[in-house]
Amino acid sequence: MNNIVVFGGSSHPTLVNKICANLGIKSSQIKLGKFSNGETSISIGESVREKDVYVIQSGCGHVNDNFMELLILLNACKTASASRVTAVMPYFCYSRQPDIPYTAKGAPLISKPKESYTFESVPGTPVSSTVTTQKPRSPSDKVNANNNANSIMENMRSPKLQALEQPSPIRISDSGDLHKSPSMSRIPMVPERKENSSELGPLFNANNAGYKLWVAQAGTLIANLLTTAGADHVITMDLHDSQFQGFFDIPVDNLYCKPIAHNYIQYNIPNYQEAVIVSPDAGGAKRAASLADALEISFALIHKEKRSQLPKGPPDASLTSGGGAAVSKKPLISTMSSLALNSQDMKNSSSSSKYVQTTMLVGDVRNKTCIMVDDLVDTSYTITRAAKLLKDQGATKVYALITHGVFSGDALNRVSQSAIDKIIVTNTVPQENTVKFLGKDRVHVLDVSGIFGESIRRIHNGESISMLFEHGW
Amino acid sequence: MATNSIKLLAPEAHRGLAELVAKRLGLKLTDTKLKRDPTGEVSFSIQESVRDQDIFIITQIGSGVVNDRVLELLVMINACKTASARRITSVLPNFPYARQDRKDKSRAPITAKLMADMLTTAGCDHVVTMDLHASQIQGFFDVPVDNLYAEPSVVRYIREHIKYNEAIIISPDAGGAKRAAALADRLDLNFALIHKERARANEVSKMVLVGDVTDKICIIVDDMADTCGTLAKAAEILLENRAQSVIAIVTHGVLSGKAIQNINDSKLDGVVCTNTVPFEEKMKSCPKLAVIDISAVLAESIRRLHNGESISYLFKHSPL
Repeated sequence: MNNIVVFGGSSHPTLVNKICANLGIKSSQIKLGKFSNGETSISIGESVREKDVYVIQSGCGHVNDNFMELLILLNACKTASASRVTAVMPYFCYSRQPDIPYTAKGAPLISKPKESYTFESVPGTPVSSTVTTQKPRSPSDKVNANNNANSIMENMRSPKLQALEQPSPIRISDSGDLHKSPSMSRIPMVPERKENSSELGPLFNANNAGYKLWVAQAGTLIANLLTTAGADHVITMDLHDSQFQGFFDIPVDNLYCKPIAHNYIQYNIPNYQEAVIVSPDAGGAKRAASLADALEISFALIHKEKRSQLPKGPPDASLTSGGGAAVSKKPLISTMSSLALNSQDMKNSSSSSKYVQTTMLVGDVRNKTCIMVDDLVDTSYTITRAAKLLKDQGATKVYALITHGVFSGDALNRVSQSAIDKIIVTNTVPQENTVKFLGKDRVHVLDVSGIFGESIRRIHNGESISMLFEHGW
Repeated sequence: MATNSIKLLAPEAHRGLAELVAKRLGLKLTDTKLKRDPTGEVSFSIQESVRDQDIFIITQIGSGVVNDRVLELLVMINACKTASARRITSVLPNFPYARQDRKDKSRAPITAKLMADMLTTAGCDHVVTMDLHASQIQGFFDVPVDNLYAEPSVVRYIREHIKYNEAIIISPDAGGAKRAAALADRLDLNFALIHKERARANEVSKMVLVGDVTDKICIIVDDMADTCGTLAKAAEILLENRAQSVIAIVTHGVLSGKAIQNINDSKLDGVVCTNTVPFEEKMKSCPKLAVIDISAVLAESIRRLHNGESISYLFKHSPL
């Protein structure tokens, strides 16, 4: 390997060493640190003049620090006359494009308020009938009453709520966090209830929603910053949106973790031919479907309902209320056919919060092993919720196959208490903590250093890397 | 430029200076939401339209989470840009990474240049800063940079708070001599210089005073106080040379690391910083700290920039 220099940022030294071992070289001397005022300082210990430089930095940990470190490193190499500088970002930070701002804890603040708003053609309509009260008109009146009582108690507990005559399961309570986003989609059911936004401020006021929000989209910015810093080439893996490649003016090689995942399933999951690949949300359906195709096994999809629908919608509409979980098995809606369209109420386990999350499963998983496939797990709400749904629908075992296990906040806690039997994750982001927390039996870490090493080798030698897309390494 | 108006933006975390500026301009800060998701990524939204407006983003970047602040600023600029703002001016009183402005070793990064490029890439049309560590940094930008001076405010402070006919201006190193000499000229005072003599590479540097400070009130002038080690040492030298008392006036009070401890342990009678960097918290644990408010300078420069007037008046005069 002539003329190649590989630098590792401070985000993921283990992966850097593995990639270098794979290339049969040593990672180059570099000193990374910070000045006392918090500014990043680096010094490069080897000449890079006319060399092919690869800088490996994953977008994990303290994202902004790591990202700045990467930019400064790229810039330093560029100004030190490197012939080509390649940024290797196993996990690409800021790759999710929020069309809605995050909450302090990370979930989108609003789930498409505008969309749901127009759906109901704006507040106007009196909303005496809330989701709960309207729903089980007939059979389970008793439960319903209970439920209302609960809601009222809820109201009394939270100080800013006044409209006691309008009990509703939608509420932002103190313990509530990431479930907010889905529950917000129900706002139109109870428009003009300012109390809902009591905690989150004016942003959430249903009345305030609509075209009153200018949200930053960091995607192009991040791409431009990398180019500005001097990156000539970017290597990453399983970009959240493959359109992200289009934001760059430089070549972006998006590697896939699919081949290693494929391998793992074939060799490690017993009876994988009988298993079902499940996509925990509609956005990842394509990724999951392609894996299912490659393995020639069946495929199912979990769909989070984002739009609110009126109860008087089509009979098979899966609108349910979240008031009482016990009520959820209503004959009214569960049409059990071969392609079951099941609806499920998910309720936050804590008794104080009553978030409604309507998810439906398309496909049959009864008595089957399920393999959920997703590119990114951050708060882990999606996959833990999906796992519960799968188990409730009769899945025997639930695996989760994740490319980027960021596991921020108390995500690991949630995963450990969830119905997921085994989580398979790659080491694009350090996973030492995950293994320690969940135990070796529940976590399997797939090594991606081979793919990255081989792609660096091929890019350095000017060979095609498309073989890696299909066959992995 | 007549139809559009000024919009002041500031990240929620550091609004102290921005609010002072807004008050002086008779404006309210634009309502924005800046959030960090649990992984640390920044998300930003503006609660009112900025189309065709004249945007000023006031950011105080102090010590600690510099990179977070920088990314926040870039995201804010970019958000305004994509929301069709007419002009975006970032007001950065303390320019981050200003000290990494040259290749002092092989392969050292010129991060100040990178910062300049990044601001321009994000969509910044104009930069307003104050007392740049090296004024050559202005040349790193392709957009206009207005480097304001804290000097008029410092002159006013000295006139109002210090018996300046007994004072002498001190530069703590040769690099700051020009700045100190200019201030001495303005006040018609004498001037002395502390020179760091570095005999050999590994030897502890020795400080030598050039000039006479006997029975004088010594005013050490510098552009930045970081860990304050140099200031403390300079104070010792000055007192050894029979100075009456020593105070330091610094533009950017970054005060990182052990700065507070250093100041408290030192023989300095006071450290006066401008409020380009927020340090209200630190003032509680250090009675020697005092503030010069420069919000008037920023407010006046914003007003002048918006109206297309000259700002060179502000280089010599401090608005009230």
